[in-house]
Amino acid sequence: MTGDIQGSGGDEVGQLLRERLPRHQAPARLRLSVADALDPPKPRRRPSLWLAPALSALATAMVMMLWLAPSLPRSSPDSIQRLSRAVMSEYARAVFASDVDPGLVPSTLPRVMQESGVLLQWVFTGDEDIKLVNAQPAFLEGRRALALTYQDRDGHSVSYIIAHGPSVAIPDRERVQIARWRPVVRTEDGLSLIVWRQSGLMCVMVSDLVSASDLGRFKEYFVKVRSATEVTPNY
Amino acid sequence: MADDEFRQQALRHIDALYNLAVYLTRNGSEAEDLVQETYARALRFSHRFEPGTYMRAWMFQILRNTFLTFYRLREREPALSEAGVPEGEAPMFHHAPVEDGESAGAHMDLERALGRIPEEFRTPLLLAEVEGLSLEEVARIMDCPVGTVKSRIFRAKERLRALLKDYGGTDLT
Repeated sequence: MTGDIQGSGGDEVGQLLRERLPRHQAPARLRLSVADALDPPKPRRRPSLWLAPALSALATAMVMMLWLAPSLPRSSPDSIQRLSRAVMSEYARAVFASDVDPGLVPSTLPRVMQESGVLLQWVFTGDEDIKLVNAQPAFLEGRRALALTYQDRDGHSVSYIIAHGPSVAIPDRERVQIARWRPVVRTEDGLSLIVWRQSGLMCVMVSDLVSASDLGRFKEYFVKVRSATEVTPNY
Repeated sequence: MADDEFRQQALRHIDALYNLAVYLTRNGSEAEDLVQETYARALRFSHRFEPGTYMRAWMFQILRNTFLTFYRLREREPALSEAGVPEGEAPMFHHAPVEDGESAGAHMDLERALGRIPEEFRTPLLLAEVEGLSLEEVARIMDCPVGTVKSRIFRAKERLRALLKDYGGTDLT
């Protein structure tokens, strides 16, 4: 096929490419995630004859549960709720940090990266809408993390926290498409959160931008930060 | 084509798509994002796929268009690093087996040289030489005439050859 495009020594180049250029195999996690995305939704089955009595029993059980609920131990929050609580304290710390000097952030980053064990190969330092104002090592549920704080033109703070540890499950059904990513977007305790995984690290953006219009703005900030920041673990 | 059959066929090409994505983005996690987006789009536009045509070429076309739409935009953004932040190209990701020093050096030279060739030359070269697609298929993916594909592959090889000669580590004589 390539006989007519070989040129001087071109066939050798082709051979070199076929024989020596490494082939990159799709990682298992990508394979799983794609297979999952391609998996068709399960068809709904016709209700069976035993369904009516079963539902009736279930309803009785639920009434009993409601009656007993006050005396039962509270159910544990899901993993993202737990994460949001941990993130809130970091967010509060960032918002109330008094010794913030945006001009010093670039020079402090190497130290912050070393202490947090998170390497930023690229970092979004801001534009006309939002500026990076602080960077500091942090802890999230007992794991080392790096917290970047941005401030927008209206004074809203946005924290971007990158933490070690894959302990938080990202529920696929809660993911939403934002540009070319599909993170989880939630509102918890009066704060908006965008949660995703990147290079084996847990990433959370948190802000007080919670109204419908503000949430749109928060997603725009996410796109800016996500597309211009490269993170890798650095143990 | 039935949905199940479409899905099964599409999934067969994941390694080839990921391989090209790595050479386009030069970054493992970006390549994963690109492949995921490619599959999302393929599923969304599955009704446009003509049964009996070559699905691999169709998916390569989606991958390249996605790359051009989103990733090229990113390349046009202003420089984002500042003093104190590590600069330079993100490293290529390797899942290659352990090699001896000489052959690893040759791989690195080859990857480095390939990374210096513009995308419109690199992609047809990889599709034709590494993936074994016909010139007609490459032309369809690249949305240009077959003659243009031939010329780009020829020029890509000349450029690659010159770069490898400069590096001095790979003997092409």
